[in-house]
Amino acid sequence: MTSITLQNVVTEFPIYGMQRNLRRNLYWRIFGKEGAHNGRVVVRALDNICLTVRDGDRLGIMGHNGAGKTTILRIFAGIYAPTHGKVDIQGRVSTLLHTAPGLDLDDTGYENILTCGLYLGMSSEEIAAKMKDIEDFVELGDYLALPVRTYSAGMMVRLGFAVATAIDPEILVLDEGLSAGDARFTERASQRIQQLVKRTNILILASHSDALIREMCNRAILLNHGSLVADGTPDEIIAEYRELLKQPQAPTLSAEVIPMIT
Amino acid sequence: MLPPPDYSGAIDDIVAGLRMREIWGRMGWAEAKRRYRRTVIGPFWSSLSMAIFVVSLSIVWSQLWKIDPKEYVPYLTSGLMVWTFFSTCITEGCGVFVASENLIKQLRISYTMLVCILIWRNIIVLLHNFAIYILVVLFAHVPVTWATLLALPALALLCINIIWIAIVLGMFCARYRDIQQIIVSFLQVALFVTPILWSPAQLTGRAVYIVDYNLLYHYIEILREPLMGKAPPLWSWFMVLMSTIVGWGVTLFLYGRFRRRIAYWV
Repeated sequence: MTSITLQNVVTEFPIYGMQRNLRRNLYWRIFGKEGAHNGRVVVRALDNICLTVRDGDRLGIMGHNGAGKTTILRIFAGIYAPTHGKVDIQGRVSTLLHTAPGLDLDDTGYENILTCGLYLGMSSEEIAAKMKDIEDFVELGDYLALPVRTYSAGMMVRLGFAVATAIDPEILVLDEGLSAGDARFTERASQRIQQLVKRTNILILASHSDALIREMCNRAILLNHGSLVADGTPDEIIAEYRELLKQPQAPTLSAEVIPMIT
Repeated sequence: MLPPPDYSGAIDDIVAGLRMREIWGRMGWAEAKRRYRRTVIGPFWSSLSMAIFVVSLSIVWSQLWKIDPKEYVPYLTSGLMVWTFFSTCITEGCGVFVASENLIKQLRISYTMLVCILIWRNIIVLLHNFAIYILVVLFAHVPVTWATLLALPALALLCINIIWIAIVLGMFCARYRDIQQIIVSFLQVALFVTPILWSPAQLTGRAVYIVDYNLLYHYIEILREPLMGKAPPLWSWFMVLMSTIVGWGVTLFLYGRFRRRIAYWV
């Protein structure tokens, strides 16, 4: 049974740069300058999220910039382990967060399809079997034999999208990537997701686009400053999101002392 | 205080990484080629620069120390070949996770797989350098014996050690970026302190301790000796085996605790 359960998930990013340095760390340890200096500044990206995504859910994630959308996608994909709380992922995950994973600009389109497919967990036989389907979808023709360096941004997105959606994942996690394509691509991408949706058990999609969420999803959540503020049907959440956008948003930082090596 | 352990997760990661042969096999090749892209002789540049080094050094040092070049050249070549492989793996191991930040933040992947790519890429370079070795074998009539076959288990053992070293260094260099610099300068010195350019037979008295207890020497020795047609001393096998066991023990402890922080560190 495919499912993802988040239990009191907190994700904090320690801000390195000032403290990353071994010298300062040793200095503090040795000379015991604690207190203000030793308190690391952390950004709490997700705050106490409890959520269960079940088989058949097409979950849309909404929220303004910095609300924690990308972070929660990475939690769903198992990329980040939460700082506190528990995550339980049941099922094979495929992700498309920005470009195709492992994309190399000097490799040709075909080589990149293979690389990217392998990283996403397909075998080379599986990829060979899907090649026709990927070629048809990307509509890049002879460009596939050229280095990806020659592609436009939209063409690269198409390539990554085609591979990520060629796989038969149980859970598919998508970030906005879809917006970089042209109108024709957006339409074909949504058709392709519709087909894919029939094959996947769970779809998770972060987007600012009302239309996309309404079309693709049967459930949506709204994040604000890392907290889960609403969970409901896409229409309800879109309305709440509109409401939220009317208020000015200033991101907040929280500073605290973490006594372990983070 | 340390983060809570997740040993089964760490072991899964290591096993999964080693088993993803199709990816690391392909990526190792791709990266080896990428590095020398648009050059005419490709990875043979590495062999060529080693050849130049060996020839120049042999001419000067065999004169300086009054050693027969037919003895010194095979010793220097095989030692340098192994050292280059080992030290490059270690230096690159420091950056193995940081360099793959994009991948680590986009996919749930086995971090050990990244280490396997690194090692495989360097084995490919090592095999290119092997061309020089073959020339040397012909030039100096290095005996090819049954002991030469020991090179294979020795290389395997070396790789098993490089995996744990790269995991540990990769992890902590991601957190503390200074460590890489420490390692680089350490390796620079190690090249001269470890018998690679010179032979341990040239040491006398208490100075032999810097050879006997120099772990790096034994790492090199187990592979260099077979390449010269001799079986490595038991003491070297013993030291390397011990470091494998202790090293992996420490690594499992650290990896179990800090693996899940890597995505935040890179």
